[in-house]
Amino acid sequence: MSLRPLYVGIDLGTTNSTAAVFDGEKVTLVRNSAGATLTPSVVRIDARGGVTVGAKARRFLENDADNTRSEFKRLMGTAQSLDFKAAKTSKKPEELAAEVLKSLRADIKEHLGFVPSRAVISVPALFELPQSAATSEAARMAGFEKVELIQEPVASALAAGWSADEKAGSWLVYDLGGGTFDASLLETRDGLLRVVGHDGDNFLGGRDFDAALVDWVLQEVERTQGVTVSRANPKHAAGLRKLKLAVEEVKIELTRATEASLVLSGALEVDGVAVEIDLVVERSTLEAVTSALVERSIEVCKRLLAAHGLGPGQIGRVVLVGGPTVMPALRARVREALGAPFGAGLDPMTLVAQGASIYAATAGLDARAEATMEESGRRVWLQYPAMSSDLTPHVIGRLVDAGQNEGVKIRLSRNDGLWTSPDVALDEEGAFIVTLDLLPRRPNVFKIEARGANGKAIALSPSAFTIVQGMTIADPPLSRTVGVALADDGVRVYFARGAPLPAKRTFTHHTVESVARGSTECLLKIPIVQGELAQAHLCRLVGSLEIGGASVKASLPAGSAVEITLELDRGGHLSARALVPALGQIFEQVAHLLVPDASPDALDATVTAMRGRITELRADAMSRNAERTIGRLTYVECALLDAERETQAARGGDADAGQKARRTLLELDGMLEECEADKRWPELESRARRNLSEAGIWVGQYGSKSEQMLLEEAAQAVEKARAERNAVELQRQLRVVNNLYNACFQRHPDAWAWMFEDAASEADQATDMVRARTLVQSGRKALEKRDMDALRGIVQDLWKLLPVSAQKRRLGHDSGVR
Amino acid sequence: MSEASPVGTNAIDRIRDNPFYVLGLRPDATRQAIERQGTKLLGMLELELKSATSYPTPVGRAARTPEKVRAAMAELREPSRRLEHEIWARLEPEAMPAAPRDVAPIDDEIAPRAGQAADPWPDAFVALGWRAGR
Repeated sequence: MSLRPLYVGIDLGTTNSTAAVFDGEKVTLVRNSAGATLTPSVVRIDARGGVTVGAKARRFLENDADNTRSEFKRLMGTAQSLDFKAAKTSKKPEELAAEVLKSLRADIKEHLGFVPSRAVISVPALFELPQSAATSEAARMAGFEKVELIQEPVASALAAGWSADEKAGSWLVYDLGGGTFDASLLETRDGLLRVVGHDGDNFLGGRDFDAALVDWVLQEVERTQGVTVSRANPKHAAGLRKLKLAVEEVKIELTRATEASLVLSGALEVDGVAVEIDLVVERSTLEAVTSALVERSIEVCKRLLAAHGLGPGQIGRVVLVGGPTVMPALRARVREALGAPFGAGLDPMTLVAQGASIYAATAGLDARAEATMEESGRRVWLQYPAMSSDLTPHVIGRLVDAGQNEGVKIRLSRNDGLWTSPDVALDEEGAFIVTLDLLPRRPNVFKIEARGANGKAIALSPSAFTIVQGMTIADPPLSRTVGVALADDGVRVYFARGAPLPAKRTFTHHTVESVARGSTECLLKIPIVQGELAQAHLCRLVGSLEIGGASVKASLPAGSAVEITLELDRGGHLSARALVPALGQIFEQVAHLLVPDASPDALDATVTAMRGRITELRADAMSRNAERTIGRLTYVECALLDAERETQAARGGDADAGQKARRTLLELDGMLEECEADKRWPELESRARRNLSEAGIWVGQYGSKSEQMLLEEAAQAVEKARAERNAVELQRQLRVVNNLYNACFQRHPDAWAWMFEDAASEADQATDMVRARTLVQSGRKALEKRDMDALRGIVQDLWKLLPVSAQKRRLGHDSGVR
Repeated sequence: MSEASPVGTNAIDRIRDNPFYVLGLRPDATRQAIERQGTKLLGMLELELKSATSYPTPVGRAARTPEKVRAAMAELREPSRRLEHEIWARLEPEAMPAAPRDVAPIDDEIAPRAGQAADPWPDAFVALGWRAGR
């Protein structure tokens, strides 16, 4: 067992997985029993239930596909189970991922001599919450006590940054994995690594390169042998699988050779006809069929750079990550298009795992379980950065047991004996703060000692701690906005994209209907959604808190307050809680934390509906001569063809293709919504003008100087958004304007009287008529007495009882709160 | 989407939640000082030290939470955002009288109210070596 902390990082990849160990100074890749650092993410279960993982299992992919599974990472977080026919069993994707993790854990044990209990596991930057949750669950099933997740591009950059010579610079991480493409812009300055921005394409990966070559081979087969092989035909699936594996090998061979033979062992059986495949594939062919995919990735990079005011040639380094990035043509094109050199000496296949192990150090996740064993002595609670670029960071401590603190002095010393702190007295809370002195680029172990007022030593637990001097990593940013869907199809944002993690927020909502105690039919849903759009139905439903009639202590009337708390940890793992103050009850069970199923019928229906919307929108755009919208609609129409192709493959039994089609359709739906917003642009623009001028009057009359300044800032931002025709930004700025308007309007002596009359006029539609009538009567009395404080409370209660349109509520994922 | 920005949209919130005030720093703080101070405050909050749970602003004391500290650090790492906050942090933390009562925060986020967790020991910051004094 090592005397100093060891940190484990795992890249749980779509195609291959890797483990690395960081000891505070250097990273070592863990080799598996075959001596390789890459373990194929393939699992086989035989008739006796025996599990094989890695290269051994991969050999069965071709000939025993019914009992061998790969690429299950793409199904993480879905309800999709994968069958193993011989063993007559089925496994969830996270169970299969757990088998891969168990295998890596065993390899680490061989390497280090102990079983790691903690680790950091990488996930794609655009993973949705259910997918992250499934990854954590896989780690738990594999026996890890604690894991943190890290976004793959951050891990790559961390590894690249750790080995970099230059102290400052900007980096673009070009991460083309098996299934996704991520581009991240990072900055290192004064030892702080920060993710400046991120973009990506969830539907672009090495698998698409394989598919492009498979399509070319199929065209050749059709041309030369007159046989059509269809991805939509389940009977062709076995042959296609075989072809895909062979194509993958040819693709790898073409990174070194200029041509390669594609020969299948045995003929493909297609509708009873034997098809021989024996082709010579030239590197130029591979480059031609994949060039559009490479260009797509470059467009993403340019978009990311432009979003941060940069152009090609303005970045210091490009870091390549992922198997497909070894393709010579891809490297040449990326270098040419981005105008920056590649980070030298960085292995694109293992960089993510290396970065994950370094990140484990920043999180203080020592893999040695025994290292945390309790020592005897007074317990001291310590807070310090486990890894820091700062040479003089602080350590903060507090004695947490009930012992005597008066006269106690604390002293810290570095284990090389060359630095010792002055004696520090404890404060009234039993706390102390000491500034440390670190030796650069290595683990620094500090001993902590205490002496009582009588000068006698006091044993402390723990008595030592380690800080690695190296880099500081900024809190990882949230990749997608998270919020609660509201009954009016709106979304209350809890954490905006880019928010630093971990994060926790609480807001008060109000129920829109009553929940009768004991009723099994009453169910109040609080949907949790992820996405950037203002309408709940355009965001992904990632979980739901439910308050059922069977679980409430007493009936809950409509308009009741519910305090909802959402919490995200550093890896983006979500937990949610709803407190109902009127009942004193807390509901914590988050249900349906799954990526929705993608049945081919539902996907087809969505495609048909979207085609209808395109026709309607195009007619309108043509009449307005809106070129931008017409261009966008053409893009959506072309992308729909891709979605249809994936849907066909889903019919052929490819569940992963179904998920890909679902995500494509969701993104395209968002684009159509933007086109619809474009149609509504003139109305939005005129509302902006009207709201600004109204706010100007009220803020001018009742606002403070700061509020007037804020309105001026907002007006400028509105103007900028109008000039850029940015509807999302314009709406955001209008909310700022409206907030200012409301705050100032409410200072008018008659404001609440006006708002009362308005709400009272709608009281006949309230969800609780009796209560609404009582409130209106109380309001009248308050108005007579000019008791505006009371009137304000009454109006706010009345608002909570006003109805929500059933249609909007359906769109808002049946949300029961506003 | 209705916005729930960690930096409030009305003037009082904007001043109260200014990252420099949250971190107890002035606008000329170096990048390293910001990181060091943020890390220290997060540690103090984790240890539930009362001296870290509130901070002075020109509109009175405000409650400090780990989320606010993280958000403040993230805001100040972004050069253009930092510049904006520098402008709003020109006032000395206790230069202005407390906020008028009628200017209620528009956002209904539930956070510890300023004063709820006010420091019972006003000199704690100095005693803990957090700041030279105020």
